[in-house]
Amino acid sequence: MTVFHFFNCAILTFGPHAVYYSATPLSEYDTIGTSVKAAIVYLGTTLVKLICLATFLKVPENDSFDPYQELLKALIGFIDVAGLYFALTQLVHRNISQNHKFQAVGLGWAFADSVLHRLAPLWVGARGLEFTWEYIFQGIEANSNLVLNLSLAALGSLMWLRKNKPRTLIPIIYACAGVLATMPSITSYLRRALGWHPPKRPSM
Amino acid sequence: MAGRWKGGGGEVVGSIYSVLALVLILVACVELGDAATAVDVYRLIQYDLSGAPYGSRLAGLNHHAGAAPFAPGADLSRTVVILPVRELNLTFLQEYIISKQPLGGLLLLLPQDIHHKSAGGNKSRNFGLLRSILSELEQLLIHVNLPYPVYFAYEDDKINAVLADVRRGDATGQPATATTGGYKLVVSTPEPRKASSPTITNIQGWLPGLVGDGTTQLPTIAVVASYDTFGAAPALSVGSDSNGSGVVALLEIARLFSRLYSSPKTRGRYNLLFGLTSGGPYNYNGTMKWLRSFDQRLRESIEYAICLNSVGSWNNELWLHVSKPPENVYIKQVYESFSEVAKELGVTVGLKHKKINISNPRVAWEHEQFSRVRVTAVTLSELSVAPELLQSTGGLYDTRHIVDETAIHRSIKLVVESLARHIYGYEGKNIQIFADNSSLAVNPSYVKSWLDLLSRTPRVAPFLSKSDPIISALKKELSDHTDEVHVQHESIDGMFSFYDSTRATLNIYQVASVTFDLLLLVALGSYLILLFSFLVITTRGLDDLINMFRRPPSRKAKAA
Repeated sequence: MTVFHFFNCAILTFGPHAVYYSATPLSEYDTIGTSVKAAIVYLGTTLVKLICLATFLKVPENDSFDPYQELLKALIGFIDVAGLYFALTQLVHRNISQNHKFQAVGLGWAFADSVLHRLAPLWVGARGLEFTWEYIFQGIEANSNLVLNLSLAALGSLMWLRKNKPRTLIPIIYACAGVLATMPSITSYLRRALGWHPPKRPSM
Repeated sequence: MAGRWKGGGGEVVGSIYSVLALVLILVACVELGDAATAVDVYRLIQYDLSGAPYGSRLAGLNHHAGAAPFAPGADLSRTVVILPVRELNLTFLQEYIISKQPLGGLLLLLPQDIHHKSAGGNKSRNFGLLRSILSELEQLLIHVNLPYPVYFAYEDDKINAVLADVRRGDATGQPATATTGGYKLVVSTPEPRKASSPTITNIQGWLPGLVGDGTTQLPTIAVVASYDTFGAAPALSVGSDSNGSGVVALLEIARLFSRLYSSPKTRGRYNLLFGLTSGGPYNYNGTMKWLRSFDQRLRESIEYAICLNSVGSWNNELWLHVSKPPENVYIKQVYESFSEVAKELGVTVGLKHKKINISNPRVAWEHEQFSRVRVTAVTLSELSVAPELLQSTGGLYDTRHIVDETAIHRSIKLVVESLARHIYGYEGKNIQIFADNSSLAVNPSYVKSWLDLLSRTPRVAPFLSKSDPIISALKKELSDHTDEVHVQHESIDGMFSFYDSTRATLNIYQVASVTFDLLLLVALGSYLILLFSFLVITTRGLDDLINMFRRPPSRKAKAA
């Protein structure tokens, strides 16, 4: 029964990636190589990010908002964007259209993220007897993460790959990129400085 | 060169495989210790009495939780019944036990406040009720054979929350089973094993008297207390009153006399023998072994022995239990000296005579073992009637706060004063040797600290090893006050055999039902199918989706 639950959560967490790959034209053009490359770039990026976080950030002693630390955090957040830039523009891909390229990169990025962040907790936690909603929520989070990463890749591809960008859209694109990179700092500011708490998840 | 490289490559691949296998094994072995609640539980004792099985016969538990009241005729063979002792319906339990209905398990919740001294009349009346329920429950459980695990746990917030949840679930109709979720109680312990040759340990200390001119053989007075306990839950039977109070009294008496005997001027013309005996609940088996180990001369030199048994929670009346007729000269003398001191202390000491039936294996009082080897002996106790086998041996309710320190204080005073008058020949004279505020006064903090220690230490003899800390502590304490401390290890006589695993950890899991998981699977499947269809339609068009479900021949035809 508990292995059953693990199986369910794994389907929810990793299923959409597979469905996305097989349902869209990505599978027809055999873009798996691009996705794998993107996943490897993600791995490297995460490593660099972790090292930076560990080196430059202090563990917060109190729950106050420290602008300097948050600025650092936001800067480190841009490492993700840099990694995505690298994956989109610097990697040598087989001749595939830009349209498919960003999808493949986003998919690989999201899948690697899911595997790295969710597989181990799922394996350890969801097989236990104790029932929690946590792993189901985690699966839903993986779904939204997939959407987020795909849109991020689309954004990057708009910024860096398209030659003839519509003039009016450019500031919006950059603003979106900025908001995405600073999102953790914004939520942290909201939580710490203004005392806002994200709504609690329902419990059984 | 190439071959070597290949060989190296093979080695590398082999080592990678082995590392991979190791990682997989490690991953598979990750222990799942993520229970919502882990509670310390104490198993009901499991023992055989001359071959017949008694107590809880199982230890492992893995069933859903249920709480009373149950629908009549409900099948509880896969349910762990949680019963708070505070609101226990004894008749309900009796019915279940007598009709031998199978239960998945039984979890009895002991109220937390049997550890706290309650104040106020109402509370203490409640407590009296609780005490009687507990002792009844204990006697009920000890003397039956229960083919399922029975555990005791203390009520706390976590377990009360679980209980309330279980009750709510039961109230809404169906009892918790695998299909409706609920709580699962898991105790994973190995099968209980028979304790191999349980030992009992007797500790004796000796205070030699002053050998005067000419006489070589001094008479001896023995002070004896049995220190071990027996209760429904071996890990909880601390026996503060029975017989922690007797042990404390004995230690204090030894301490007081050691001060007198340390100087030749005040050393009496009696030897004093102090004995802490084990095996008390089992017909004073240890006392018998101890007496048998005496040599003839010592046994004959004992003028009389005073056994201390449950002297910690009396108000005004103590009993002197004897097995020789009260007209006996020694008995008369002991009784008179006791009642004389008792009168000064403002308490009464009654005399109870109970004849020994040699053919009956039951030994109700410790002094009867002495009487059986023809040594004059008395038992000082607050109990007026002889207890049955395994009764009043330090059970669940016998905890620290039922013991009154002043009662122990008075008992010590009574014994020590009457002994001293006898030893120094002050009978009939009103001389307080151990007067309060003198250097020979009874030390209340000494009494209290020993009582606290004993009330924290379960002392069921079969589960005490030969070098158990409490045995070492008692031995050290006696050797501080007396000379020639001997420790005697014996095995309990064949009638009893015990099983281990007396305490365990209960994990309480909140589990989802199988139906929930099935529903979740269906929902997820439809979600993925919908996602697939949506993506195919938006990226390739509806025709492609329909084509996917066409027969393969169409593709063949296309190829042709």
